[in-house]
Amino acid sequence: MASYILRRLFIGVGVLLISSVLVFVLVAASGDPLALLRQNPLTPPATIHARAVQLHLFDPLWQRYWIWFSHVLRGDFGLNVNNISVGHQLHLKAIVTARMVILSVVLAIVLAISVGVIAALRHDTIVDRTTSVVNFIFLSVPVFVIGLVLKTFVAVPIDQHFHRVVLATAGEQNPLATGNFFQRFPDYLSHSLLPTMTLVLATYSSWAIYQRSTVLDVMDSDYVRLARAKGISPRRVLLRHILRNALIPVTTIIALDFAGLLGGAVITETVYGWNGLGRFFLDGVNGQDTNVVLAYLLLTATIVILFNLVADILYGVLDPRIRYGKS
Amino acid sequence: MRMKKLWSVKALAVVAMVMSVSSMSLLTSSGATSNGGSIFVDLDETLSGFNVNTSASNEFVLAEIMQLVWPGVFIVDNHVNVYLNKDLVTSATSALNGAGQQVLSYTINPKAQWNDGKPITADDFIYNYQALSGLTKFKDKGNKPYDAAGTTGYSSIASVKGSKPANHAKCSTGSAGLRNAHLCPNGKVVTVTFAKATPFADWESLFGTMVPAHIARKVGFNTGFNINGGGDEKRLLSGSWYYVQNYNQSNNTVILDRNPKYWGHPGKLATIVFAGSTDDSTGIAGIQSGTFNVFQPISTSLAMIQQAQAAGGSIKYSAAPGLQFEHFDFNQANPYLAKLAVRQAIAYGTDRKALIAATVGQAAPSTKPLDNRIYLNNQPQYVANGAAYDNVDVAKAKSLLTGAGFTMGPNGYFQPNFGPQSGQDLTLSITTTTGNVIRAATQQVFQAQMKAVGIKITIVNHPAGTFFGSDLPNGNYDIAEFAWVDTPFATGNNSIYCSYTDATNCASNWVHYANPAVDTLLGQGAAATSPKTEAAFYNKVDAQLWADMVTLPLYQKPLLVAWSSNFHNILPNPSSAGITWNAFQWTRN
Repeated sequence: MASYILRRLFIGVGVLLISSVLVFVLVAASGDPLALLRQNPLTPPATIHARAVQLHLFDPLWQRYWIWFSHVLRGDFGLNVNNISVGHQLHLKAIVTARMVILSVVLAIVLAISVGVIAALRHDTIVDRTTSVVNFIFLSVPVFVIGLVLKTFVAVPIDQHFHRVVLATAGEQNPLATGNFFQRFPDYLSHSLLPTMTLVLATYSSWAIYQRSTVLDVMDSDYVRLARAKGISPRRVLLRHILRNALIPVTTIIALDFAGLLGGAVITETVYGWNGLGRFFLDGVNGQDTNVVLAYLLLTATIVILFNLVADILYGVLDPRIRYGKS
Repeated sequence: MRMKKLWSVKALAVVAMVMSVSSMSLLTSSGATSNGGSIFVDLDETLSGFNVNTSASNEFVLAEIMQLVWPGVFIVDNHVNVYLNKDLVTSATSALNGAGQQVLSYTINPKAQWNDGKPITADDFIYNYQALSGLTKFKDKGNKPYDAAGTTGYSSIASVKGSKPANHAKCSTGSAGLRNAHLCPNGKVVTVTFAKATPFADWESLFGTMVPAHIARKVGFNTGFNINGGGDEKRLLSGSWYYVQNYNQSNNTVILDRNPKYWGHPGKLATIVFAGSTDDSTGIAGIQSGTFNVFQPISTSLAMIQQAQAAGGSIKYSAAPGLQFEHFDFNQANPYLAKLAVRQAIAYGTDRKALIAATVGQAAPSTKPLDNRIYLNNQPQYVANGAAYDNVDVAKAKSLLTGAGFTMGPNGYFQPNFGPQSGQDLTLSITTTTGNVIRAATQQVFQAQMKAVGIKITIVNHPAGTFFGSDLPNGNYDIAEFAWVDTPFATGNNSIYCSYTDATNCASNWVHYANPAVDTLLGQGAAATSPKTEAAFYNKVDAQLWADMVTLPLYQKPLLVAWSSNFHNILPNPSSAGITWNAFQWTRN
């Protein structure tokens, strides 16, 4: 197992390196980070030239990459085009995004497993059909549409009814909120509810559909039939024999989807005005800011690689029949 | 979310060489209002620093914030009139001295002070001049050149000196290290002398949003006011209505509190919060829900205006024309667009009214074709120099092409008898930024209009970074569509229309246009000794640009500002002063 993990980590580092080169070239070739400055007729050419020198824009591409890479090896993600430390920003933004994503993942898992299991147990009933339709609706509707609908048709009427902000539509917290965590909790809740709901609804459906399918498969298996024949209670059959086995593939799917959730968070953060990694990434792309985009890439790629690894390890842990490194 | 850069001038010049300017008149509140309370203003830019005078932080919303924190000599109101900020200076005059040099004189309000208790003195004017002069002899901390966002006007100044310190004290000697030796930095009267050859008509644009000199020297002008996390706001100080009580980098929120040490009329609201960073498409919903109270998108879309219209009485809004105008650039490096007849044919064949009706006119029906590049419809200096192009004239367009030697081909397009398209259909591309719905619609309507004239148009769009960073500066386009954010000061146009052969001073001339007569007029306009003369010169410039059909202005873009109806005195300002120009007078029920 250890050698397997090491091998996977080694491959992961290689993937990171190659993807960083590709992204660097793509971002650096996609435009001019000083484009907005050039658009301003009042900016002196000397100022633009000085900024270009500062950003190494006159250096060859490989040299710029090496400057970035050698700094990253020392833990320095460099400065963005506006002279702000990228590493510090990345840290702050990651905390904001994590607040949204982690809560959403937990809730989506609970919802997906519940809906999937209930639909499978009520197979071919009105409950199954209804949940399937709802699941497919949320699977097919884009994240931003869910966000806009919740904002416009849920938050606005509620807030207008109560004449105060019950469900905030923008920002991750009220800047004027004071006190300790518990005193600020209602404000956190007000700002987190809609974005979290959006991510949950956009995420849970595919997991629920998959969960339903795996539960149905397991319910048809010989050992479940044997367990029932032996007179074991339905509850025990469900929990010990069906659910335990049906959760294995879903667990790995969830681990693999986690990186996709970060992608979904970019849109959710934009719709709800959260200053997380999504905003950070979009600002970087719009500003052709290679250091920002690369920092985002390094973080998300590392998460993807780690969670892929976690998925594989979990699969082995949950299913004793699978052992890595043995023929 | 995009970042919008500010052009560093902030007011409209109504210039008099010898003038006393009226003081800011306080507006009266409407409705039952009270002092205090807070307001949430949508902030749709990620701030990187607070020194809006540097190129790195020259952002529009930041300027709206900092004009409430750092003092400026003049205020531009919502009718684009200029008022002296008498809280800062009790008088400001411009005159010619015996040697024919333009001399400005500012008398600093004796009570004016930074909120650390240090008085505002000539030293602040001296430092801000040096930082923005563009002169290499002046250096920032660490002996680095100043990162000035704009040097217009400051680069023409010969000297800035103080005199008459408070309480009849003696002038301090200053120091060579601080570069204010023998300039009487503690003076309360400031004398600015321009070089003889370069008087500056738009002198009222100078000394807006001034950094505190005594802090900037310590921390550095270029990066000393950057956001580094933790306590950034303490360095900022305030010499105006509000101070930065807190900046939260994690949430990108700025909290301004009333400056308790302000000596003039204090701000009416206790707190102004810039926060939210909402997606522009749902900004109106943000006001409806009460999450924030003022919403000003970077780019106004038809959908936003329609949402504001449908929102009812809880929201007030304005969609008046702003200072941005949409236009076509004709690249004269193209052998066909180098011909005046071709450019004129395109202009005569472009039905600007139909373009407007198909795009912004649907939500802002008062939008009209723009007939001036220098002055916009809501400026008193506006003259309709391009009225001849108000009505489409396809027959004239065709006759111009025929007269230039083009022949009609079998496909209904004219064919040139020279250049790379000789014997082929005359084909030109139109390029703009990708993802802009209004521009995309404009291109399609334009394409159809040019087909009627006999010119084949292809649409080639690129992302904004490529378009502004590469296409325009490198001339990789035939016809380009984009917006200029017109500065309220006419001199801001010089680098766009002066001859491109002067690459240093005319770096924004991306159409490869050169006309010595225009260069002369631009110089005369910039050095004009009265606002009337300045406007006359710049209108002559514009008339010549129409005669040469250098660019085709289309229309002023409507600018949406929406706010909760329980707030009062919010008066949208079409100039780059923005919505916060009078935030110190905002009140709430």
